[in-house]
This record gives sequence, C-alpha cells and structure tokens, in this order.
Amino acid sequence: MNNHVIQAANLTKIYSKGGKGEVYAVHDVSLEIRKGEYVAIMGASGSGKSTLMNILGCLDKPTSGSLKLDGVEVSTLTDEELATVRNRKIGFVFQSFNLLARTNALENVELPLIYSDRSDITRLAREALASVGLADRVHHNPGELSGGQQQRVAIARALVTDPEIIFADEPTGNLDSKSSLEIMALFQQLNEKGRTIVLVTHEADISEHARRIIKIADGKIISDELNQQPRVAEQEMSALVSKEVSNENK
Amino acid sequence: MKTSRVLKVAFKGLGRNKLRSFLMMIGVVIGIAAVTMIVSVGIGAQNRVLERVKKFGLESLMLRAGAGREMGRPTSGQPVTTLTLEDATALKQEIRAIADIAPFVVKGQAEVIYQDKSTTTGIFGVTPSWASVWNWDAKEGEFISDEDIAGLNRVCVLGPTVRKELFGDANPIGEQLRVGSVQFEIVGVSREKGTSPAGGDMDNRVFIPLSTMMRRIANVDYISSVKILLATAEDMDKTVASIQSLLRERHQLAPGTPDDFTITTPTEVTKMAEKVSGTFNIFLVLVAGISLLAGGVVVANIMLISVNERRKEIGLRKAVGAQRKDIMLQFLYEATAVTMTGGVIGVVLGTIGAKILEAFTQMPTSISWQSVALGVVLSSAVGIVAGLQPAKRAAALQPIEAMRT
Repeated sequence: MNNHVIQAANLTKIYSKGGKGEVYAVHDVSLEIRKGEYVAIMGASGSGKSTLMNILGCLDKPTSGSLKLDGVEVSTLTDEELATVRNRKIGFVFQSFNLLARTNALENVELPLIYSDRSDITRLAREALASVGLADRVHHNPGELSGGQQQRVAIARALVTDPEIIFADEPTGNLDSKSSLEIMALFQQLNEKGRTIVLVTHEADISEHARRIIKIADGKIISDELNQQPRVAEQEMSALVSKEVSNENK
Repeated sequence: MKTSRVLKVAFKGLGRNKLRSFLMMIGVVIGIAAVTMIVSVGIGAQNRVLERVKKFGLESLMLRAGAGREMGRPTSGQPVTTLTLEDATALKQEIRAIADIAPFVVKGQAEVIYQDKSTTTGIFGVTPSWASVWNWDAKEGEFISDEDIAGLNRVCVLGPTVRKELFGDANPIGEQLRVGSVQFEIVGVSREKGTSPAGGDMDNRVFIPLSTMMRRIANVDYISSVKILLATAEDMDKTVASIQSLLRERHQLAPGTPDDFTITTPTEVTKMAEKVSGTFNIFLVLVAGISLLAGGVVVANIMLISVNERRKEIGLRKAVGAQRKDIMLQFLYEATAVTMTGGVIGVVLGTIGAKILEAFTQMPTSISWQSVALGVVLSSAVGIVAGLQPAKRAAALQPIEAMRT
C-alpha cells in the first residue's frame, strides 16, 4: 500500500517574462508528503510557495517534473481529468474564504458535491458543517457569519468530499488573532483524526502549528524539518482568554 | 454531474441577481410579445379569409356587372347597366354546371321608416332562390315568394339588426315599413348572418322582391350581381370560361375588348385577401424579428458582463471540480431560462395585446398553440444563441487566474 499522498520530483514552473528571459517560480522541487502529515510550506511573498501549492493541488501544471497524487501521475493529465482529481481527492481552503455570496452555508458546502456523482449531498454537507461546529448555522448566508465562521464553512466545504489532502492557502490571512487560533485549532483536530493537511503561510508562528515545516525561497526548498514541539492552538487560545480576563481585572 | 443539478445552480444564479435577470428578460419579453401579436393577427387574417370563402361557399361564383370589380368594395361612380335579368336566366338555362342562380340589385344606405322610428340600411332586391343559394332564409315568417315576384308585391323581410332597431322585441310581422315613399308589409325576419368578411353587418339589410326593387324603388332594368351556385366545385375554370363566352356573346363584345362583368371565384377571394395581408405581414415579421434580435443582443451583453463579474465564482467552481461543460451548461441554462421565462411572459402579454388590438381595431386575431409554441421555441433559441459566447468564455477560464481577480 502506498503511504504517500504526494510524491513530487523535480517540479519546475517557468513563467516567461515577456521576452526579457524567464522566471523560475518553482525550481526543481522534490518532496514527499505521507498520509496523516501536517505540513506547513513557509516563505515570503513571491517565494513561489503559492505556485507550488497550486501545482501540488492540481490547479496549475508544472513546466517539467513529475507529480504523483495518491500514487497516480497527474502532471500529464488534461484539464478535465485534473478537475475530477481536484473534486475527488483535494480540498481547498483560501485566504479570502471564497464563499458564494447570497448563498447559505449548506449550499456553499454542497458545492463540490454538485460536481461529483454523490447523491446524498445535503446529508454530507450537514455532517461536514457539524464537524466544524456550525450545525446551527446551516441556513446562514456568508454575510451573516463572522470571518472565523466563514472560514469554517470553507473548511467544511473542503472536507465534504472526504479528500486525501487539504491545502490551506494563508487560511488565517484575513482573520484576527483569536479567530486565527480557532482555525488553527480546527486544523490540529482534523490532523489528529488522520487528515493530511498542507498549510501555506508566510507567518512563522502560524507555520509552527504544523508538525513539519518546509521553507521556500526563490522557488527552492531551503529547509525541510520536523517540528518537534508544535504550538497547540487550544492552549494558546486559553492563554489568550485568561490574558484578556486578567487585563479586564486590572 | 447531473443535469438537474446544473439547472438548479443556474436558477439559483438568476435568483441571486434579480435585477440583472429582469433586464435580460425585458428585451425578449417585448420581442416575443410582438411575435405573438403578429402571428395571432396573421392567423386571424387567414381565418377571416377561410371564413369568407366558407360563407361565400366553395361551390359558388359571383358575377358582377362592370369590369375589374372586387368583392367587398363599394360601388363607385356611374352604375353599370350591362348585366340584365335575362343574362342570368340564360346562364341558368344554357350552362349545365350551374345549379341555381340568385340575381340581385342592391341599394346601399337607404332610409327605412316605421312610425316615428327610422334607420339606415341596405335594400336588397332578391328572388326566392336567394334563400337556398346563400343559405339565408327567413327565421320568422316567410321569405320572398314567387308570387311576390310575379305580383310586384310590396313585401319585405327584415334583417335582425333592422328588426331590433325599429321593433325591439316586438313582433314586426304584418307591420308596415316605409322605404322612401313606398309602403311595404313585413312578412318575415331573416336568419342571423353576423359580421361580413369585410367587417360590415350582414344583418342590417332589408330584402324585397327583385321585381318590386327594379320597378318601384330603383327604377332600373339591369341587375347588380348574380350569385351562381354550381352543382360541383370541380372544373370550375371550365364553367367560368363558358359563363364568360356566353356573356360576351350576349353583350356582343368584339374580340379584344375587355369583359363588362367580373366573375369572382373562391380561389380569387382567397388570393385577394392574401395579397393584401401578405405585404403587411412581411413588414410586421421584420419588425418582430428586429426587436427579438435586439433582445438577444441585450442578453448576450449582460451575460458577458455577468461572466466577467463572476470570475471568482467560476474559478471556485472549477477549483472544486467543475468540468468545462458544467460551467458552459450553467451559463447556457441561465441565458435560456431567462429568455424562456421572458418568452412565456411575452406570449401572455402578446395575447393580451392581441385582444386589445382586436377590441380597438376590429382586426380579427387568433391565439393558437402555434403562436405559443413559436414564442417558446424562438425565445429558447435566442437564449442559446446569445448565451453561447459568454458561456464559452466562462468555461475557458483557468481556475487560479479567475480566482486571483
């Protein structure tokens, strides 16, 4: 049995710069991610981390190199085949939530299932919302939810197809620190239940919640280390709360 | 991916932006309403022609005095004196295909007086054969009889309209009616015939014996027209030719001179009406087509704007696994749903419009399943054509690029 969700070898993505040569957004990257891992890909803006995530998430195709997802070579697939791979095996969480406006939480979570051949889409969507603690918000529109709640709807949407891997691109970028910790706690819970998560961020303290941190600069991996003592978001939250309480008591 | 789901997505998309959907719809509504009205007027006109031919009779010919006369057109200028009662009798005797004839003389717009009431009506001098040839006998009392003709009797049969004008619900039979200075005894009331194909009231008539008409009222020795009933509708051209040659001979017309009479066949009636409405119809269809085209352009435009505005949504759908064809269908369904809804509304408004038009202009209209089907089919076609390019554009978007904006 293949234990690797992702096996990337010599991935390279080149953008031509309008006649003035070429830019290597991703340069000869090789990495493997096993089932159940919680990996942070960290780098400054422009480091190529988002391009790498897009390639790993089958949203973009590499210029060269090989990428196996769940043991299947995907770098040679057509757009339509990639859409199917994304639908069945990958969940995405974006910085700006990307929820459909004027559409309630339930229907937002149902979205990936619409494009699958599943038939029990409403039940699955309700379960996914319950698993992120929003069972009582199914009929709320995004406008009626807080940022943290909106991101949890987006996470439910990523979970609803029971994907092999979840990619989260700066999931806390639009959130305050308390909501950020809530989201990080949710990811840690999901990971403990066996979910494979790839977190893309430029914030070091966010990346420290993951159990493995890959640092990227100029399209290359500059370090790939296990994080022996990950931050525990739930502890940080209670610390934050007690700090608020003590501040109020002063 | 099930079609019903994409359909649902499309309808939700429309519901989320009601103003946009409404604006897209309005052009199609106008276009289809125009098409519906025009088709119903066209079919109404066609029905009128058929009705006209039916009323006239498929086995009938109309022979009129004078050249180049058309049915339903009032006589103008000098009266034509060439056609005589003898001509009519000769036709019946000599041409075997002729089953019966109804010669008549018309005096339009005459005043008839009963006691202190009067009304304006058409006076028809007819023979008893009128009743069978036109299928137009007396509903009450009796029609003109052979004795009336022989005795130049001063009797008359009222049309229902005249009867109502002068007598209301009272029984007119036996009463005296004055036409000019001549007194007539009312012997009957004719059967209702309704509106004539030309729009006139066929019940606003008074029938008197032809002989009385010629001697006492009009003082003429010629007749206006003869309605000819044929034994069969077959070989009508041949019959027309023999009538023509017999009349030319009797009128001693030299070869090359035009006929001094006009023969109208049911086919000619049909052709005539089609000629009149044909040009009109082409013009109207053109107008409807242009308004529908404009509606389509509006739909295409707004759909393009919509695709641009919704790049993020499209990108997201693709990111979570929508295929190119899913997006394509979503936008095509949206466009088609809008135009079809517009089409249905247009058909309803067009029907109402046609009825209003009918009420104001007396132009007959007819709403048929054809006009409804045409409206729905045309509006869907507009949606598909107008939605195709925007849908293609939406389907071609790459997920990451679409989401970046």
